[in-house]
Amino acid sequence: MKPVITGISRLAGKDKDAAIDRHMRCIKEMRFVNDIERLVIASVGNVLEDAKIEFPVGNHDIAIYMGIDDAVEDIKDEYFDNIINVGILGASPLLFPYTSPNALAAQVSIAFDIRGESITFHIENSCVDVLKYAAICVVKGYAKMAIAGSIRLENKKLPENEGRYKAEFFFIETEASAGKRGVKKYYHEGWNEDVL
Amino acid sequence: MGEDAVRISKLPMLNMERQWLMADIDMSGFPNFINSEAKFQIIAESALDMAIKDAALHSYQNIGLSIGTVLGNVLYKEKRLIENTKDDKMRESLSYPAAYLSEVFNLKGICMTISTACASGTDAIGVVARRIMSGETDIIIAGGVEVLSDFALLGFHNLHALTETKVCPFDKNRTGLALGEGAAFIILESEKHAIKRGGKIYGRVMGYASMSDATHLAAPHREGRGLADAIHQAISESNINLYDVNYINAHGTGTVYNDLMETKAIKRVFGKTAYEIPVSSTKSMLGHSFGSSGVIEAICCLLSIKNKSIPPTINYTERDPECDLDYVPNVSRRHYVHIAMSLSAGFGGQNSAIVFGEI
Repeated sequence: MKPVITGISRLAGKDKDAAIDRHMRCIKEMRFVNDIERLVIASVGNVLEDAKIEFPVGNHDIAIYMGIDDAVEDIKDEYFDNIINVGILGASPLLFPYTSPNALAAQVSIAFDIRGESITFHIENSCVDVLKYAAICVVKGYAKMAIAGSIRLENKKLPENEGRYKAEFFFIETEASAGKRGVKKYYHEGWNEDVL
Repeated sequence: MGEDAVRISKLPMLNMERQWLMADIDMSGFPNFINSEAKFQIIAESALDMAIKDAALHSYQNIGLSIGTVLGNVLYKEKRLIENTKDDKMRESLSYPAAYLSEVFNLKGICMTISTACASGTDAIGVVARRIMSGETDIIIAGGVEVLSDFALLGFHNLHALTETKVCPFDKNRTGLALGEGAAFIILESEKHAIKRGGKIYGRVMGYASMSDATHLAAPHREGRGLADAIHQAISESNINLYDVNYINAHGTGTVYNDLMETKAIKRVFGKTAYEIPVSSTKSMLGHSFGSSGVIEAICCLLSIKNKSIPPTINYTERDPECDLDYVPNVSRRHYVHIAMSLSAGFGGQNSAIVFGEI
């Protein structure tokens, strides 16, 4: 079985609002605590849309493999700064769960009701290893289909709405699955037999 | 009898009067422990060294490393923020524990960090077991490392998840968890590779699955839907029958919701067979060392298979009518364990199940 890409999404903070407004109609009603999760939800919504996957999903067929770099450190810094400034009461119960790097993948699973596997990897510069693992899981049948990609700190000097973070996601399934669903398949440099 | 490692102790870095129940490591046994922020390095190096020696690995430069952690190196961040000093980007990065250990032990294979909250350790094993099964590599080290921090203690405190009395998982009067810390590693090899080099084999990974609750960021699905799905999938992948499972090492944190959810999930999958399987929580003795707990509990499963003895759930005094399984109360038990399963669950609706079997 050969893995293929049937959806691609690349999004920076400044472009997320239009996307999220569009997806809000179909996702679970939820409260966003920080901008980075809005960006991830918008980007995953786009990749599902591109792959012609209807949501809410409501089953185990799709897995999430997410790479995150030091973007998560911003949330930890904010949480701990509050403790230093306020003391015990500064440890916000609202913010604390977001200090776990899997919080973004979790919010994706909640928003789109994706009940399959969800693995968060810490990455440095590239999400190639995440894509490679996702492809193994799809080919070996651990997941029928997968959303794989990353959220990265693009430019630490910029505020969120000017491109501080960048989200990039791919929808991966087997060629047979894509054929059965009648969806387009992407090919691009870097996605070849060597990578897989 | 199980020994309780949970004791009253102070927060590591912030100068607060308050004390908490926790299972912290007594560092007086480590003469090279000088900087408190470097605690993870000392415990992780010691644990990894122990695993490598136990496996009698003499040449390991091409081996990869998979680490499960959530806040393994957070003490660097705490110190920097408390002292308001310059960023230490490298050491604050979550990849640092894996990168540091790879450098110290000269491990040149893949180097990965998995962070799936309290399921991180189990997933660190499961992910690389799949890579071995796919034929990508023959041998990888999987482990977990976590240190106690003000960061985590205060977070769980304000979520009202910490107990002020005893950690008594599945007991009617359970009031919460106590945090712990630790590092644990296992060497995973293809069977062919292990036999060829004459390594001793503790057991085999038979199946692994991870599933999402998709309901809440900080609370488990009340009926244990995601965990039941993970158990079901791991058993199906193991190609075994439900009654083949001889022991379950539960996530068993000691919180009201987790233990009830976990009991429901086990019953949902195993039905009446659930009442015949011993289920115990080693967190009752060791506390909850979130990212590393999955690896510690995997080792408990492997040793239960090897030694034919299962660890108890200590501090168990009163049966909860809703948690009505055999929780191996207070005393370890001789038991013919051929197949053992370890369960982990965490923030974000993470649920993982891994099945180990006798060779």
